[in-house]
Amino acid sequence: MNYNAVIIGGSAGSFQVVTKILNSLPKTFPMPVLLCLHRLKHVRSGFVEALSLKSNIPIEEPFDKDKLIPGKAFLAPANYHMYIELANRIALSTEDSVNHSRPSIDLSFITASNAYRNKLIGIILSGANKDGAFGLKKVHDNGGVTIVQDPEECEVRTMTQSALHLTKVDYVYSTDLIIKFLLKLT
Amino acid sequence: MTITDQDYQFFLAAIKYSSKYDFSQYSEKSLKRRLGKVLSDNRININILINKLKNSSEFVEKIVKEITVNTTELFRDPQVWQAIRYAILPKLKSNSVINIWHAGCSSGQEVYSMLILLNELEIFDKVKIYATDLNSDVLDLAKIGEYKYRFNIGYLDNFDKVIKENPYNYEEYNDVPYEKYFDIDKTNDLIRMKDFLKEKPIFKRHDLVTENNTLYVKFDLILCRNVIIYFNYNLQSKVFDLFHKNLYDDGCLILGLHETILGSHSVKYQKKGHGYYKN
Repeated sequence: MNYNAVIIGGSAGSFQVVTKILNSLPKTFPMPVLLCLHRLKHVRSGFVEALSLKSNIPIEEPFDKDKLIPGKAFLAPANYHMYIELANRIALSTEDSVNHSRPSIDLSFITASNAYRNKLIGIILSGANKDGAFGLKKVHDNGGVTIVQDPEECEVRTMTQSALHLTKVDYVYSTDLIIKFLLKLT
Repeated sequence: MTITDQDYQFFLAAIKYSSKYDFSQYSEKSLKRRLGKVLSDNRININILINKLKNSSEFVEKIVKEITVNTTELFRDPQVWQAIRYAILPKLKSNSVINIWHAGCSSGQEVYSMLILLNELEIFDKVKIYATDLNSDVLDLAKIGEYKYRFNIGYLDNFDKVIKENPYNYEEYNDVPYEKYFDIDKTNDLIRMKDFLKEKPIFKRHDLVTENNTLYVKFDLILCRNVIIYFNYNLQSKVFDLFHKNLYDDGCLILGLHETILGSHSVKYQKKGHGYYKN
């Protein structure tokens, strides 16, 4: 099975996990990695730099209408929603918060699942609210692969448990197994 | 609510048919999502919506107001406002008159941000400031200059970063009281802009998509922040062209933090820091 994109959503307790995943991916990772992570509203800079420290793939906060390309990670910018358009492009929005969040993980997941259908891998990590649960369901409904970080391993379980409650996901994996799964795609 | 492509096309056609508005070149993902929200907020289906659009121009006005995005903040993205303060406005200081246009000003928070900066830089009197938006309801809010206090507590942090602190000199601290520019009324949960700020701008309804420059002046500075993200590539080009024609030589365009000029117009502007300067 070939996939065209990976999308990862996380909130409280997800920073270390995302860092570990990004550090494990090879430069030649064959698809774009979309990151929608909640952060404190006023921590608007330094996040990309922190994620980039040991990552082999470049990470950027995209501009509106930037093209998604393989082997690169795109982090939803602070205070914007990040949508995925059909033509492999990013669309940003300043619409009101959804689930008290901007960026909203649900919105990124929903639009990515519309764009990539069954060619999308959706991953939900540790977090303190239910954002992302509905989005992951859409990934599943569109035939994509759904992965949830093992709640046992999560610093905060609300997000993963909400996702598991709403969707019969394909895999419940520890961080190491998530990495193993992604490396098999390269 | 899911909107099919056909519904979406019918909706675009209905708006175009029954009004002066044209949403056909808006960014599709955002507009479809807003359309879904309008349907569920009004508890109607797409067919009813389209019928009502065709039969009532008041209804079109109502839907257009609901479908456009109006979020804004006082000193949104403080780093941009620091650049305006320390890099962009100083270049205009020696002009005898300075014209500024806030295109898509929404409820006016950034217009007031600019007015506060202009006063701090002591160039308030020689500036003409124009603020336009498609939506006359948000323009009315801009004229009133009152904003919720508790929901917008971040405005004060932004004010401190831009007005009180100097990012280029951490030892500098200007203890400018908020009351110089706005009153905080905690009882009524309001921030109220001072009259001398409210009286200054010229507010006018204007549609960037279908109208040319109806302000009939050229500009030293145009701010159009988080507006073009809702437009497709062709429409963006059209707007960049409008701005280019209406900027003075060396005039400056300021976009949202994650907006950029793509395609053929990119060579007509030169990016320096947070400003796009007319070539």
